[in-house]
Amino acid sequence: MKNIIIVFSLMMSMLLSLSAAHAAADIEINTPAISAIKGSMQSRHAQLAPFYSSGAVGFSRDGLVAVRDAAAVPLAQRQALNNLVAAENKDRNALYAEIANGNQHPEWEPEIRATFAKRWADKAQGGWWVQDGSGWVKK
Amino acid sequence: MITRRDVPDLRITVGYWRASRRLTQLIFFIGMTWFIGMVWSPSLAMAASTLTIEADSVEAEGWQAKAVKVVLAPAQRPALALNSQIKVAKAPAWGSLHAECGQVKLPAGRGKWSCQQGLVTADRIRLPFNFTLDTAPVAGQPSLRLDLHVQDAQFSDAAGLHAAEKLHARAEVQARQQGGRWLWNAGLAWSGGELFWQPLYLQGQGQALKAAGTWDAQALQLDRAELLLPGVATVHASGKWSVPERQWQSLHVNVPEFDLAKAYPALLKPMVEQSALGHVEMAGNIALKADWQAGQLQAFKLRLRDVDMEDEQHRFAFYKLNADIPWDYEQPQPVQLDFAGGHLLKVPLAASHLQAEVNRYALTAPELRLNILDGALVLSDVSAAMLGGQWYWHLRANLTPLDMPALSTALGWPRMAGKVAASIPMVTYNAGTLTTDGVLGFNLFDGSISVNNLGMQTPLGSSPRLHADIEMRNLDLGHLTRTFSFGAIEGKLDGDIQHLELQNWQPVAFDAVLKSSPGRYPRKISQRAVENISALGGAGAAAAIQRSVLRFFDQFNYEKLGLSCRLHADVCTMDGVAEAPQGYVIVKGSGIPAITVMGYNRQVGWSELVSRIRRVTESNVKPVIQ
Repeated sequence: MKNIIIVFSLMMSMLLSLSAAHAAADIEINTPAISAIKGSMQSRHAQLAPFYSSGAVGFSRDGLVAVRDAAAVPLAQRQALNNLVAAENKDRNALYAEIANGNQHPEWEPEIRATFAKRWADKAQGGWWVQDGSGWVKK
Repeated sequence: MITRRDVPDLRITVGYWRASRRLTQLIFFIGMTWFIGMVWSPSLAMAASTLTIEADSVEAEGWQAKAVKVVLAPAQRPALALNSQIKVAKAPAWGSLHAECGQVKLPAGRGKWSCQQGLVTADRIRLPFNFTLDTAPVAGQPSLRLDLHVQDAQFSDAAGLHAAEKLHARAEVQARQQGGRWLWNAGLAWSGGELFWQPLYLQGQGQALKAAGTWDAQALQLDRAELLLPGVATVHASGKWSVPERQWQSLHVNVPEFDLAKAYPALLKPMVEQSALGHVEMAGNIALKADWQAGQLQAFKLRLRDVDMEDEQHRFAFYKLNADIPWDYEQPQPVQLDFAGGHLLKVPLAASHLQAEVNRYALTAPELRLNILDGALVLSDVSAAMLGGQWYWHLRANLTPLDMPALSTALGWPRMAGKVAASIPMVTYNAGTLTTDGVLGFNLFDGSISVNNLGMQTPLGSSPRLHADIEMRNLDLGHLTRTFSFGAIEGKLDGDIQHLELQNWQPVAFDAVLKSSPGRYPRKISQRAVENISALGGAGAAAAIQRSVLRFFDQFNYEKLGLSCRLHADVCTMDGVAEAPQGYVIVKGSGIPAITVMGYNRQVGWSELVSRIRRVTESNVKPVIQ
């Protein structure tokens, strides 16, 4: 019984320390690397927005973007679209890692990614596609 | 199996049929209708106006079909129709397949077959076609002549990564049997439409393929093939495709001349888009020969002639690049490369000639000499290897003295006097991370600067990082202040910048101390320098000078000066050479006239400090005094 109590209190303290740590994550932190990545993403957004509207590209559950309907895009633009998506995802992955690094906790990357995934989904405009647990959903 | 015959219509119903070999059986299955038509129709056509074959299910390696129905009715339109549900092994669901010929012409014996106004439709496929097949023997030998036109065809896979639209093409195949094998020649001409085959996008502009060879059950022998890409290149190939192994037993490809200005945007850029060569303007010619054995690349020879390449983001450029790059899996090959000029991260490169040896996936060179302005970066004992798609290399580097005025101008820095030289005992690069062992020494401003523990991550990537420790000794303050338009100071300066960290070439952290060097030398500071130093600490102190008696003097004596900044989390924590009430001493005066400059703010936002320095040095105007 005594052991169970010890294990339980250990687990509780771990949980508490974890949640305390997460509360401390500064998702708005700014470093030159982060502002460079954000700048690069901002300048790409104008190119991606028409693809969000047409449904060719949607926000995936893992905080990235994905081609969900290539047929909505003329053949001549498909590789450009693939490259845009690859470059955007490279930046997004780097952004999550940099924010975790900036917080001095690289291991927080998955939580930061999840927070951003939710943010992207919330910020998506009407008509854009967002991936949830069941699949692609049009907002 | 149930077979039923109705007169005047003939109907054959097959319950289940299993095919063992996929492609040949598919052809056989479709051809069965023809066979029945050919053999039976002369007699049956009188009695039967339609022939129907139905099968509940057909199964073969790689695909299966159900509810198959073939109707042959030569007098009707369409004359031949096939409807079926079909499922390819990997496909998640059944799809429908429809094929028809508007008009068919069946030979009475062996002879010409034709299908006019043909159409194949399935999920994401629409393929209108016409074809004629002549099976009349030539000189007593079985032979075939096939002529197929595809008009306005389109197809796509589910992901849309392999697709075509408005496709117009013509294929011609002639074959005759001789001594147990087929001698064939084929032509394919692509006249219009567009094709996306990830990552390539091509438009039909008269591309043509001509090929000839032999074929038997063991191998498809390609004696010669010629692929014409108008305005870009002609590709020659020969080889042997093994039928049982389903791979090229041998393949030889030769592209004698490739116009890079045309080939790069259409063919090469899509392949290398995510690499450093992904956004480059290219011109010039390349030639390529390559050999594959048993499906593996065995050797190649790449030749570059007068190639110009310029990175769109201005990270590098090479002009009049000529190279011979042979490679052989079995033996080491010498590589040669030279260029007339260029730049790398804005460092100007002069004409250079490089030689190395490539051994499978490793490259070695005793010395690579990159000429820079009037000096050179000499890399020695170079050893590089490609492992799992990542580069690993190490080398020693020596920078022979470079003229600093020319280099600083080229880099867009303030013009600096003197020479720069450096020596790095060991540089290693491991999959994106560059580290150095030893000290990089520079001679600048009549003093010395040494850089320790220099490391970089992804120097050509989107967010490059750099870290280093820098030590500066006896820099001439007169040179330094003139270079950066800071207001004249006479004396010598020592500096230590520990734990410098740059992200995207911007400082994010360091621990810096700048102070006058120990020793005997003249120490004078101008009034403008005093004002500028005061302005760095924020307005206030300078105003006091303006109002005081000190403004009658142009310069002052000092005993020592110094300023430190520890940058962390975008805030610079500042200190001087001595403590003072409510602040710290930046310049400690001595003699007559003497001046002491104080700093009061210990915490300054980094961006605020940078903009103050910029105001003082770049705009070269007096600080704003409130």
